[in-house]
Amino acid sequence: MSIFKTLKNGAAAAASSYKLILFVWITILVLVMAVGFPLRSFLNAMFGNSLVVERLNNGFDIGLAGDFGKPFGALMAAASAGTLLAGTAGFFIMTFFAGGFFRRYSLAWGGLKVSDFLRASAGNFIPFLKIALLMMLITGAYTFIIVGIPGIVAMMVSGSQLPTGKVLYLFYVLWALGMPVWLFVADASRRWIAATGSRKVLRALGAGFRAMKERFWLSYGTVLAVLVINTAAVLAIFWFAGNATPDRSLAVFLFFAATQLLFILRLFMKAWRYASVCEAVK
Amino acid sequence: MRRILVVFLCLLPFTAVGQIIVDKPLSDRLTGYDIDVTFDPEAHTVTGLMTAWWVNNSSMPVGEAMMHMYLNAFSSNQSTFASRGRWSAAGDDGWGWVKILSMKDGRGNDLSDSCSYVSPDDGNRNDKTVLRISLPEPVAPGDTLVLTIDFASKLPSPIQRTGYEDDFHFVAQWFPKFGVYETAGMRQREADGWNCHQFHPNSEFYSNHSVYNVSVIMPSEFVTGSGGRLIEEIDLGEDHKKVIWRAEDIVDFAWTAWPGYKVRTRKWNNVDITFLTSETGLSKAENHLDAVVYALEYLGERVGPYPWPHLTFVDPPLSGSGAGGMEYTTLFTTMGGGAVPSFLRMPEMVTIHEFGHAYFMGILASNEFEEPWLDEGVNSYWEQRIVDHYYGAGYGLLKLPFLKMSDTDQGRMSYITSPSRTIATNDLPSWMYPHGTYSMMSYNKTATWLHTLEGIIGTETMDNVFREYYHRWAFHHPSGRDFIAAVNDVVRSEHGDRFGENMNWFFDEVLYGSGECDYRVSGITSNKIRSYSGVVDGDSVSYARGDRKSDTLYLSRVSIERLGDVRLPVEVLVRFDNGEEVLETWDGKATYRDFEYTGARRVVWAKLDPYDKIDMDVNRINNSFTLDPAHTVARRMLNKYMLLMQMIISIFTL
Ligand SMILES: [Zn+2]
Repeated sequence: MSIFKTLKNGAAAAASSYKLILFVWITILVLVMAVGFPLRSFLNAMFGNSLVVERLNNGFDIGLAGDFGKPFGALMAAASAGTLLAGTAGFFIMTFFAGGFFRRYSLAWGGLKVSDFLRASAGNFIPFLKIALLMMLITGAYTFIIVGIPGIVAMMVSGSQLPTGKVLYLFYVLWALGMPVWLFVADASRRWIAATGSRKVLRALGAGFRAMKERFWLSYGTVLAVLVINTAAVLAIFWFAGNATPDRSLAVFLFFAATQLLFILRLFMKAWRYASVCEAVK
Repeated sequence: MRRILVVFLCLLPFTAVGQIIVDKPLSDRLTGYDIDVTFDPEAHTVTGLMTAWWVNNSSMPVGEAMMHMYLNAFSSNQSTFASRGRWSAAGDDGWGWVKILSMKDGRGNDLSDSCSYVSPDDGNRNDKTVLRISLPEPVAPGDTLVLTIDFASKLPSPIQRTGYEDDFHFVAQWFPKFGVYETAGMRQREADGWNCHQFHPNSEFYSNHSVYNVSVIMPSEFVTGSGGRLIEEIDLGEDHKKVIWRAEDIVDFAWTAWPGYKVRTRKWNNVDITFLTSETGLSKAENHLDAVVYALEYLGERVGPYPWPHLTFVDPPLSGSGAGGMEYTTLFTTMGGGAVPSFLRMPEMVTIHEFGHAYFMGILASNEFEEPWLDEGVNSYWEQRIVDHYYGAGYGLLKLPFLKMSDTDQGRMSYITSPSRTIATNDLPSWMYPHGTYSMMSYNKTATWLHTLEGIIGTETMDNVFREYYHRWAFHHPSGRDFIAAVNDVVRSEHGDRFGENMNWFFDEVLYGSGECDYRVSGITSNKIRSYSGVVDGDSVSYARGDRKSDTLYLSRVSIERLGDVRLPVEVLVRFDNGEEVLETWDGKATYRDFEYTGARRVVWAKLDPYDKIDMDVNRINNSFTLDPAHTVARRMLNKYMLLMQMIISIFTL
């Protein structure tokens, strides 16, 4: 099968599971709202009846932090704690739902009810969590070896605080080119678990590596293509959200709708990668 | 070139008469130094001969001389500088000192036994930074005291402004140097006398404008720079060279030597700018040169001309960063190198600040010991204006799509967030600021109230104040009172008595007072004026009103309060529901003030200090009040935050 066909089939599979994607979106939205809404009340209390918010229309003016005084420190502390909490919870939730997605995409063509989706998620959670943690370790070590060590060496050689040598860019490129391998292995092993119902993580990883070896260029090319598109999309989303400054009520609502559509798109692209890897391994 | 120099050497010690660099003397040149030394980079020493002269311009004979021996601040851990500043030598080689090997006056009298160390500031017997010389014969009015001094200096490590690290050397405060002999009336002084302070950790310096002829023998591999103009570099053979500099009308002479320096130059008008940096600092060279040109241009237009045709500045390597951020008029050091991203203008800010000192205490040579606000505060004010002018109002210091900060706000923030901001007045000598408030007070509080003064009297008048200050005091020693006199005269001539008889009330609040300024809009009410109802002579009477809208009158009230001690005139912009706006003014003296409006229109919001004139106000949040708070900003921030969280969650999971 060609890379293009794999991607096409993957996209179709991801699209047909739109209900599951929306379900994940709602869950994550509830999670971030649970952290975000108290912060918003905090902000409103801080602003009170002041018009000073006008100064925040074009980016946050750090000069105002001093005027807010102690409440600003408290807000920052609450925001950091909330972010950490939501980030950790989000990690578990996404790992959990991956179990359902891979079950869905490893099945023969056909739908999966939300209840079955949840059952599959729960069934695969423990081995998926193990794979996620293991892959975090592996990619962390990989990053340190490919990017970290050359950076440290460059720092010591040039005596400057920041490595600026062009050689370092080469290592960044090398790092980026290696990442699809790890992602494919992670996805393929999770598909193996979802398809076989086995709980053996190491055997799953073995199966993932074997799948990679069997059809290297198809596997590698598929994930690389998805990753490139994903990275571009993520950058575009950040650029849009970073620069947008809607200041009227309706505009702010539309902005909210737009950000959530973009996040759904982002979830779709993740599902697309899962589905494409499942297609490639088939 | 060389011949000219020989002529000058013959004229010793009266070289001040001649001109090499500037067309005519800029200052009275009451002191001067001819120094011939050898620099040993292995031993980190500078040794040689100095001829120093001082002219008694008072009307009385003077029987003693005072000299700074600043390198002795690094000679033990018990000096005032080391003990209060927690400086300690890096190993036995790290101590620094200056020794007088012999001293003679112009008549050949040996003065070696007439010298003693004194500690006028704190009585510390272990401090050897001020030398008192009893002269065998008093110096008559108009006469010149000439001292020929054989001296040896050893640089300290770690570097604090001066010192060495490996082969990097920054040589400052390195030779015995006269204090300032002040005559009665000068800087509001009651009687004649020497002004010669010890070396303190927080304090800077005070000296006469002098002429320097300096020659240094050193290994040829060293790249050098100084506050003087390079007259000649002579190859002595055997890998050694002699570097000869001359400087005119500057208050201090420092130089640096390091084999690793890379040099970049630029010419701006008639000024030759030389920039010394490290290999890694080269990437920011253009930014630094741009910054210094901005500062030259801005201060030249608004304060007065930069009179020297040369300027050297240094971005020390990381190992020498202790020398960074210091000023010697025609030589200064910046910091920051290549590591700082371009959206953060920190290195440029330091360059602009240190250059600014060429004016604020280089040309306008105030006493940095006794009135640090007059150089650091005034200079920070100008630095902030320059940074925010050239790099963007509102985001001069930091500019990102979602985050910004102006240099002015950076200084103000340090002041308004300091819990100790009301414990001291702003006119203290540098070493007397309590509880670590020296920089916050002398840099940031001063700059903040100078912006406030600008807000009150207007930018144009403010610039004229500084033009006048420069005109009166360039190449002299102004005091804070002299600066205030310039403010009073210019404000009076441009605004009459609009702000009162003079501006002393302002300085009493901000400089000689320790209070803080905080005005707030405490609330707005807007109520229908109700028809009369009540009891008249035992009968209940009520007058019904028509219910047509045009008959409905409102009483709106805007309540302003003064929460701080500082009293400044403030403006209040009041907006009504029909779109009308009214600008009210209030002298700000009472503790509260209500503005009332009757009519069909209702007040919607009020903004106190709407044009941000009162930077002193420590809380701008309470400066406005609206009956219709828009929560869109908080909602937008929430949306962005939620998306950011969602993206983080989706990116950091497999
Ligand atoms: Zn300064």
